Amino acid sequence: MTKPNTGHINPQESAASEIKSYATGFVISLILTVGAFAALLSDLPNTWKVVVICTAALLQIVTHMRNFLHLSFSGNQSREDLLLVLFSASLLAIMAGGTWYIMSDLSGRMHQTGESGSSSHRALAAYSNNGKPQQVWLSNVPLSRN
Amino acid sequence: MKGMTSPIFGNLDWTVTPYTDLLQQVNSSTIVSAGAASVLVLGGIAVLVLFTWMGWWGPLYRNWLTSPDAKKIGIMYVTLALIMLARGIIEGFVIRAHQATALGTLARPESGLVSPDHFAQLFSTHGTIMIFFVAMPLLIGLINFVLPQQLGARDMAFPVLNQISLGLTASGAGLVMISLLLGKFGTGGWTMYPPYTGKDFSPGEGVDYWLWAILISGMGSTLTGMNFAVTIFKKRAPGMHFMRMPLFCWTSLCVAIMLIYAMPALTVSSAMLALDRYAGFHFFTNDAGGNMMNYANIFWMFGHPEVYILILPAFGVFSEISSTFSGKRLYGYTSLVIASMSIAVISFTVWLHHFFTMGQSAGVNIAFGIATMIIGVPTGVKIYDWMATMWRGRVRITTPVVYLTGFFLLFVIGGLSGIILANPSIDYQVHNSTFLVAHFHNVIIPGVLYGMLAGIHYWFPKAFGFRLSETWGRRTALLFVGGFIFTFMPLYVLGLMGMPRRSPTFQNPDFMAWMYIAAFGGVLMLCALASLVWTFWTSYRNRLALAVPGGDPWNGSTLEWSTPAPVPEWTFPRIPHVDKRNDWGEKKRAGDPWKGPETYTDIELPANTALGLLITGGSFALGFAMVWHIWWLAVLCCLALPGLVALRGMRLIEPKIIPAAQVEEADRRFRQQVASLAPASRADEETERNRGVPDISEFAG
Repeated sequence: MTKPNTGHINPQESAASEIKSYATGFVISLILTVGAFAALLSDLPNTWKVVVICTAALLQIVTHMRNFLHLSFSGNQSREDLLLVLFSASLLAIMAGGTWYIMSDLSGRMHQTGESGSSSHRALAAYSNNGKPQQVWLSNVPLSRN
Repeated sequence: MKGMTSPIFGNLDWTVTPYTDLLQQVNSSTIVSAGAASVLVLGGIAVLVLFTWMGWWGPLYRNWLTSPDAKKIGIMYVTLALIMLARGIIEGFVIRAHQATALGTLARPESGLVSPDHFAQLFSTHGTIMIFFVAMPLLIGLINFVLPQQLGARDMAFPVLNQISLGLTASGAGLVMISLLLGKFGTGGWTMYPPYTGKDFSPGEGVDYWLWAILISGMGSTLTGMNFAVTIFKKRAPGMHFMRMPLFCWTSLCVAIMLIYAMPALTVSSAMLALDRYAGFHFFTNDAGGNMMNYANIFWMFGHPEVYILILPAFGVFSEISSTFSGKRLYGYTSLVIASMSIAVISFTVWLHHFFTMGQSAGVNIAFGIATMIIGVPTGVKIYDWMATMWRGRVRITTPVVYLTGFFLLFVIGGLSGIILANPSIDYQVHNSTFLVAHFHNVIIPGVLYGMLAGIHYWFPKAFGFRLSETWGRRTALLFVGGFIFTFMPLYVLGLMGMPRRSPTFQNPDFMAWMYIAAFGGVLMLCALASLVWTFWTSYRNRLALAVPGGDPWNGSTLEWSTPAPVPEWTFPRIPHVDKRNDWGEKKRAGDPWKGPETYTDIELPANTALGLLITGGSFALGFAMVWHIWWLAVLCCLALPGLVALRGMRLIEPKIIPAAQVEEADRRFRQQVASLAPASRADEETERNRGVPDISEFAG
């Protein structure tokens, strides 16, 4: 914090290219963000919306790593950068994959073919209409608090 | 709920304090909560008066609050943690006292010291405080103090960021503390599972206190993790290869990695719950497509690595003290490194075992159950390594070794009950019972608490220049061991008898005998807390007799013992060059380790800054404003916080320069003092003859 972090390179030379890199990153991020919102508001089918938003998110991550975090797979930092990206990717894969595994299994055990959310909505409606809980409603309640 | 939200004061008015409740209804519950609020208020006033009377505000501001020195930040973290520990232990005692009087009858189901709602707040704050504001600051503080010294670095990679992390943690702790006086805390336990904690079922400020305390302090912990990781990767002394790092540095590295990858999950789940509560989102609600089970999923994605974040630094401490106090080299260094790293990675694959009974199929459960059992293996390797380290060593039964012995005996029991719980079919029987409560206290108290207290005892002389009283230290340790056994072993039995956790009342008179034993354990824990305070006080009074200016009171082998005690702010007069693992020990073996450097140069240190303090104030105000819906203040803070950071970024800040002459003078004085002090043998370690200069001919580590 006490030293300017451009100390090791020629500030005159790098300033222009750095600003350019940041500006490119900013513009790309902006387009991707707006694109995700546009996809949401568009008339595309739901599957396509999800695909577009996920792609935009992944590209966003790549942009941030390249233009803002300056990760690169060439040069003397490449080995560390590659390890970092691989490690992060594997942990994220564990988290995202595990979530998919768990939540789809839970959803499959909801006795209904629809999404778990809408099923619980219907169950709640049934609860308030009949004044009596149905089996579906009960299966939605997490039993454990540990 | 109150009617209108005032534009100036939000939902705050005169009815939110516990005193109002006390005026409306006088019973043991309102007396306890008004008493707790009074302790907070009177304690605050006492501190104000004391500091003003002694004229301590100036030194406090100049030397501590604005200091970016990692060692001081570490000490402040530990101080914060010990204050919160006092509240946590007292709350734990009130919980035990309540349950010992909570035997209800069918005619009068609710009885006991406090009301059910108050009881729910107690276990929620107890859990939140102990995890986020005791265990986390303790380990982060200890790492801050020790890590740069062991690595041979002058400071952390980002000293000011470090200050901000402390500030964010402190404002989170402040929010939990102020909830004693203003309003109520949440009643959903430390995990705050929706939909119960959604707006529909928990209106009011309680859950919001938790959310903002967690969001703010969680941000601080993430930043700390990054700081530790960069420090370890970039700031090691020349020659300090990874495989030459002391084991505490290795576990710190694991902790850093886990903080970076685990804390965001907590921030995400809390932010989603906050959006549900504030902005009418439906992430975790029952209706409109929400799915509350995903909260448990995301929360524990953080929660399980968190458990190992807590325990790994303690493992690092135990590695250091088992070697130092048995006068032997650490057994199985490489296996300990591999075990720590394995734990760090495997801990990301087991989170589902916290919700085995949520309804997923047996295949999913058993996959995570097996992963859970696997993580016991590297932990077992570590226990054997430490025992092998002490095997046939000349073990000195100092306070840290008493903690270590308690850890050996008790942690293994806790680990075993964890392996039992890892079996989903057994978990179905005992989940949500006090068996589980006993299990996690059985790993966290002997693991984290003993480890951190042992570490504090071990490195205390390095921070303040005098040892802690061994007599009182051992008494404290034994009280914590006894208190733990009496409090939590009965809970295993009660859990198997069918006592649900977090129940404000029960109707089975068979529970009572065990409840009384547990309450007695609670008394022992209170005594242990008092004894801990007394240890600090009595050691402070005897600080001249206990002083160790030589800086190496335990005949240690890692770099931090080569400097004076208390350690100067520049730590090393010259950054050491490391040739071997346990470099300081190897220098002792070679003879005359206290040789000064030939030349001295100016030392550049980060300049003091009030940024951390301002961020603390801003983030606390932001959290408080959001809890009470004081929107103007929240908007103001949201603008001020990034503004402060940007303002600092635009200014050129000159570092503080310590001239070479000053360093040389201090260092020469230290070397002369070491030469003039009589070396103390192992047998003299606890006596006044131990002035911090050990007999290096006895070094065998």
